[in-house]
Amino acid sequence: MKFPATRLLAVFISLLSSLVFAESPLLVERVNSGALPAASERLPRSPMVTDLSAMGREPGVPGGDINLLMARSKDTRMLTVYGYARLVGYTPALELQPDIALRLDIEGDRIFTFHLRPGHRWSNGKPFTSEDFRYYWQDIALNEFLSPFGPPEALLVNGEPPIVKIIDEHTVRYSWSAPNPLFAPALAAARPLYIYAPAHYLKGFHASYVGEEKLKAMVEDAGVRNWAGLHTRYGHQYKFDNPDLPTLQPWFSVTPPPSERFIFERNPYFHRTDSKGQQLPYLDRVIVNIGSSGLIPAKTGAGESDLQARYLRLDNYPFLMQGGERNNFSVRLWQMGVGSQMAIYPNLNTTDDVWRALTRDVRFRRALSLAIDRDEINQVIYFGLVNPSANTVLPQSPLYRPEYSSRWSGFDLAAANALLDDIGLSARDSDNLRLLPDGRAMEIVVHSAGESTEQADLLELIHDTWLQLGIKIHTKPSQREIFRERLYSGEAVMSIWTGLDNGLPTANTPPTELAPTNQTQPQWPIWGQHFETAGLTGTAPDMTEVVELVSLLKTWRNSADHDSREAAWEKMLAIHADQVFSIGTVNAVPQPVVVNNRLRNVPEEGIYAWAPGAYFGMYRPDTFWLAP
Amino acid sequence: MIPTLIAISVIVFVIIQLPPGDYLESHIATMQAQGESVDQKKIAFLREQYGLDQPMWQQYLTWATGFAQGDLGYSFEYDLPVREVVGDRMFLTILISVITIIFTWLIAFPIGIYSATHQYSWGDYGLTFIGFIGLATPNFLLALVMLYFANVYFGTSIGGLMDAEFIGQPWSSAKLMSVLEHLWIPVIVIGTSGTAAMIRRLRANLLDELEKQYVVTGRAKGLPPGKLLRKYPLRMALNFFVSDIGNLLPSIISGAEVTAVVLSLPTTGPLLIASLQSQDMYLAGSFLMFLAILTVIGMLVSDLLLAMLDPRIRLQGAPAK
Repeated sequence: MKFPATRLLAVFISLLSSLVFAESPLLVERVNSGALPAASERLPRSPMVTDLSAMGREPGVPGGDINLLMARSKDTRMLTVYGYARLVGYTPALELQPDIALRLDIEGDRIFTFHLRPGHRWSNGKPFTSEDFRYYWQDIALNEFLSPFGPPEALLVNGEPPIVKIIDEHTVRYSWSAPNPLFAPALAAARPLYIYAPAHYLKGFHASYVGEEKLKAMVEDAGVRNWAGLHTRYGHQYKFDNPDLPTLQPWFSVTPPPSERFIFERNPYFHRTDSKGQQLPYLDRVIVNIGSSGLIPAKTGAGESDLQARYLRLDNYPFLMQGGERNNFSVRLWQMGVGSQMAIYPNLNTTDDVWRALTRDVRFRRALSLAIDRDEINQVIYFGLVNPSANTVLPQSPLYRPEYSSRWSGFDLAAANALLDDIGLSARDSDNLRLLPDGRAMEIVVHSAGESTEQADLLELIHDTWLQLGIKIHTKPSQREIFRERLYSGEAVMSIWTGLDNGLPTANTPPTELAPTNQTQPQWPIWGQHFETAGLTGTAPDMTEVVELVSLLKTWRNSADHDSREAAWEKMLAIHADQVFSIGTVNAVPQPVVVNNRLRNVPEEGIYAWAPGAYFGMYRPDTFWLAP
Repeated sequence: MIPTLIAISVIVFVIIQLPPGDYLESHIATMQAQGESVDQKKIAFLREQYGLDQPMWQQYLTWATGFAQGDLGYSFEYDLPVREVVGDRMFLTILISVITIIFTWLIAFPIGIYSATHQYSWGDYGLTFIGFIGLATPNFLLALVMLYFANVYFGTSIGGLMDAEFIGQPWSSAKLMSVLEHLWIPVIVIGTSGTAAMIRRLRANLLDELEKQYVVTGRAKGLPPGKLLRKYPLRMALNFFVSDIGNLLPSIISGAEVTAVVLSLPTTGPLLIASLQSQDMYLAGSFLMFLAILTVIGMLVSDLLLAMLDPRIRLQGAPAK
């Protein structure tokens, strides 16, 4: 007999809220005409309430449009990143908190029980329930046509899939026999692991639910090869390339591609509110204009973007400041979240035997690191605004220790020369270059993807100080794919690439970047390939320290408690600091963020990072609002 | 014509495939440069879906037979059929190109005629000089400079062909005004580079004719100078212009690629370049084939026109039969 009472209460609340809270200008007409229920009916019964004052922000007024600039129409996926509605998501303090899920119960990192919000709806008003999870698991992940290679990696523990149990309409349980610490971080990632899909919509393209004739006609119409292609094309939850696909994000695209201008409207069924009960997001529409990436700083300077960081670089800063006065925007300096802006990677798997003996010699790597004048780099290229450091985690990370960043990263040519002499590289040629054991002069080709002048400037400075060691470097920029080919084949002795992608890990972040896990890791591509293909190709690591990194990664994966994970992380970071597997330069590079002066609640300072922040996502763009 | 096109299609396809890797490899590389990771299983699935796991000759046959039947293929980058991707851009590209060509003619013809009839005068030197400056200034530089000034002094939005609010909207007078406001920059930038060449060619051809005896005869018989010029040597000098049509047709579609990229115009040029970069092979391939077909047709049309207009060409060809 509870039901009528709650129903009455709901009616009461809806009356109350329609009196107190303004419906957004975009929706008010649709609500008044009865095409759309009132906000209180659209919200889940227990919405996610955001305490703005606790975040140091002010409550806003709904309505208004903002413009963003992107370089390609594929960049519409950035709205999934900025929107950052996840089952669980990171807060700026790097803690995981339930978001789409009402609650997530985790037992020993093995059993994950999701409790959904009753009354939660997709952007088209259809209920979001455990059926959407069942559909994903049974009809997508386990379907031999849609996932011929099995469920995604993050759902497997030692190759074993989870047991998925649909408990009731609002409860779903994933369980494994061993811990799966990758699971929750994958759900919260900027490009999330989707374990649900809008079943009511996608069933229309699925062979199990649609007649063969009808499906065949649709496949031909869309110009794809088979129904799996059709289902995939209409079901990209991450990309926003199908205006009909329901979503849970704060804004969704209403513009069918291709276009030069994508309009994102507010999701009328979004599940978050501010502390007063006003439905979020505040902004009615986010408009994404596509322009070539080279023109974006100029367009931003002309006031054509209300919130822009993508495609802006530190060297645009003075120009942007000038534009800000004319066009009423401010330029804030956030901090980039990579472990090192640029790092040099000696290739431990290079095919040149003589060089390989050297790149595997820790003394050689330390000497190279000691012979980089990071203060000079800071002053010359970055206006003295950055932090000279080895390639390691940033000071804001709970795992940070000063010695990780300072060990072997001071500037000490005497010590570096002594290390090289110690290896036995004391013979020199007439140009005063050191000679390799086989008589060649020590000239290294540093392969780069050649994408920024910043990289070229940096290598120029490193060239000068390394020359004082008797080592000469040449830069070889090539197209990105060719650059990677050279790495994979072992032709490259040394390369330059960005440092750790995630400079702000916590003990629960998977330390995959610190061990050979991926072919694209420039210091050990062959070992990475070995791991990635589960031993089919590549070779297994044969250096003691690297073997230890691999076993520490395993320890991390199999541990269920925070302390042992932290211990694994610390050991791995210490090995990297001591062994200098990558030679870092500087980190904490400021990222200009252009913000329209009318746009409120955008933090003055922040971390601009793909992982773990999802760029603006972690700072909750749904709480940004436009002052009149 | 048909064998030429088949040969071109093979060359186009091979050249697009020459760089190492395929679309998915470059897609992964782009993603990873931004820190995004891609699930290898998903990539394997897509490779199968896009048919990239097949041998190259089979991919070529699929594309070529489809193309012959009017199916332009599928763009991986946009995840849409090529036809839909190109659709809207075609109209704006043709608009810009046609206006640019008219602009070039309007400037080049009077100047060319003037400098031929007033050879080695101050006016000849002065106007030719201006034409050469237009030719010598890099297009992208001129484009950037003009963008900046147009923005600062006229408040024109940077890049593109219309103010953002009109994109994707139906045509209206306000939209047309906005397009016109943006159109003059690309027209001037692309136009100036073509003007000098046009002036020089017209001048040279006209000078050749002006020295011929029939002109002297006409003048001796008292024909007014204006009528004399228009009626005889100018018409003779126009042959180069007709044979130019062959080159004109493809350039209408391709637009001036580099300028279009710099100005971020919603034309087909940037699309072609981006598709070549990302190895979106069907989009790039269909595009290049389209240009090739237009070139071949253009050549045919200009040959026919020349034969029709100039009896010398027609009659010289005849004895060979």
